[in-house]
Parts: sequence; structure tokens; C-alpha cells
Amino acid sequence: MSAAGGPVPDAASLAALIARVAVMQDKQAYAALFKYYAPRVKTYLRRGGLDSNAADEVTQEVMLLLWRKTASFDPARAVASTWVFAIARNARIDHVRRIHALPPVPQSVMASPCSAEAQMMNEENVVRLREALATLNFEQQQIMQMFFLAETPHSAIAAALNLPLGTVKSRIRLAMTRLRQLLREDEP
Amino acid sequence: MIHHHPSTETLLAYAAGTLRAGHALVVSAHLEDCATCQQTTARLAALGGVLLDALPPDNLPADAFTRALAALEDINVPAAPPRGPARFPAHLPLPQALYGTRLGRWLWVGRGVYYSRVHLPWAPKEHVMLIRVAANHPVIAHSHGGREFTQILQGSYRDETGSYQQGDMAEENQETRHQPRAGEQGCLCLAALEDGVRLPWFKILAKRSAA
Repeated sequence: MSAAGGPVPDAASLAALIARVAVMQDKQAYAALFKYYAPRVKTYLRRGGLDSNAADEVTQEVMLLLWRKTASFDPARAVASTWVFAIARNARIDHVRRIHALPPVPQSVMASPCSAEAQMMNEENVVRLREALATLNFEQQQIMQMFFLAETPHSAIAAALNLPLGTVKSRIRLAMTRLRQLLREDEP
Repeated sequence: MIHHHPSTETLLAYAAGTLRAGHALVVSAHLEDCATCQQTTARLAALGGVLLDALPPDNLPADAFTRALAALEDINVPAAPPRGPARFPAHLPLPQALYGTRLGRWLWVGRGVYYSRVHLPWAPKEHVMLIRVAANHPVIAHSHGGREFTQILQGSYRDETGSYQQGDMAEENQETRHQPRAGEQGCLCLAALEDGVRLPWFKILAKRSAA
């Protein structure tokens, strides 16, 4: 399946597609979600250290979970991509456990974007978050991305950027301070 | 009123799923009672979605979608396993985060101090424990090989770095050498260590508790 092509759907249309899968098991809607998310989920898994074959397998798993879990998606509480990210993240963690013949991690100890306790993080907030992220300089954005996606955050970043561990730590702190300010400004 | 929270960096790692299992468990326990950190975590989790959207698409095998469709036909959506009530000692206020773990028996480790190893079936090497300290009793002075997260489940304690009440979470690192002392109601804590506590008898104790 080709990865490229077609306009990128916005958050509202992605949420609508998920709703169509949830309500009427709409396979066309599922195909659109697959086309958008599967290639990105694979990139995420590859960056987390999985080889191409393993990433393909776990991507399949994530897309099946997406089909099965659509009923738990609450557009009032989470944005589509946040929800898909959480599924992919948990599948990656469980993949690592499985390699070591360990049972899966209970959902109760993973950050959940859709739980009853989670505060509203609606589309408007996410747009602001995206804008906030865009105001970080390149170096900070790069570090935030690596920190979020790498399996062994600090050491992996240090190796990839060829920087001493201490420098990476202080740059993450800097990016975090900036982000924290942005998140606060975000408050109503 | 909660005064001590996990750092934003810790919550970010938690949202990203890169926090080690023992520490993630303690953070989950903290979140159960902390609306502030729930909100921060929700925002940081949204960052995951934003970053996912920004990722360049990778190439999938030609039959990826066909395979997924075929697999959908096979799915008889099984009901989610019931999250039955945790079978824990009723007299202890233990967080839901401990559901699925196995608690070791309580061991006496010093005057007024008891230790119970928390076994995580999904991460058996993680060093997580419950510590119970009687009112006004000190815990022996120690330092850490790495980061230590401690969630106060009941009571309070005080050490060189400050005073910690029920609901607070303390993050200590290898620079911390401290001697906590329980408050007037005693103290029950959930703690996760990175590389163990620097105490000579501790390894023997951990082995005994694992038995």
C-alpha cells in the first residue's frame, strides 16, 4: 500500500471516521483511517527501535486494536490522534514485554487519554498545543520528538545527536521549561 | 492538599510510555488522587498525537490492508477482562494501580519499620515496595543508586528535603541521602527504586521477601 497521496485529514474528520467505524463497522471509513495512521504508526515504531518486520507486525496489531476499541473513543475527551498514539504506545510496550515472555501491562498503569478522569483535551486545545510546539526552536523540537519517541530516551538522544548525556539532559530541561510556560498560557 | 508532584519531565515520560515500569506504577498511584497532574498528563498525552501527526509515513507491505481486513473477519470481539476488585488487605488504603501486582509478606526491617515487596508480573526485575513506618519512627539513613519515587498512601513523613503528606509524591535521585521520619499518624508509602538502596543488608532483605 502506498504511503503517500491524498490530502491530510483534519482532526474532526478523523474523529468522524472513528465514529463511523464504531457505530456501523464502516470498512470504508476504516480504510481511510488505515491509510492515514498505519504508515505513521510504523514510523513511530521504527523510531522506537523496532526493525521493519516487527514494526509491520505491531502496526497490524495497532490497526486491529483501533477497529476493536472505537467504542471507547470519546471525541469530547480526546482527539483522534491522541487516542491512536496511546494505542500504538501501549502496543509497543506490550511487544517488548512479549519478547521477554512477560504478561501485558495493565491498562490501569498507563496514561489514558480517554479515561473518565482525564480532563478535556479538545481539538481547540490540541491546535494550541501544536502552535506552542511550533514556537520551540528546531533543537528543542528535535529533542522533544526524540524524548517522546525513543525507547531509552536520554542515552538514545545522546548517541543520535552525538552529544554528552549532560548536555542532552539540560536541553530537555530547557525545552520542558518552555513547554511548561506554553501549557500554562494555554489555561483558560 | 497535595504539595509535592512528579516533575513535568516525569509526567512527559509517563505519557510517552518511556518511564520504567516501577516508576510508572508509582506515578499512576499519584494520579489517582491528583487532579492537577491528571490534567497535565492529559495535555502531555495530546503531545503524542501531535507528534504522531507530524511523522513522515513509512512504507507498508503491499498486502497490509488486505491482511488487516481479513483479520477483522476473525475477530469475535471478546469482552474486556473484568477489572475485578483487587484482593488486598482491607485495612490498608492501597491504590488501584496495584491491581495485578502481587504483594510479598511484610518483613520487619527495623524498629517500627516494615517492608513488603510489590511484584510486577509484567516487569519482574523492577524494585517496588510498600513501606510502613510506625508513628514518629525514623527510617535508617540511606542514599540511592538512582531515582526513587515515593507516593505517600497514608500518614506523613519528614526528611531533610521537606515534609510529605498523604497524596504527595517525592522524587529523589542519587544525590539525595536522607533519613525520613514518620509523622504522628505513622506512614504508609509506595516506592520504586532504580538501582536499589545503598544499604548493605538491603539485598539480603529483598531476596528474603521474594521467597
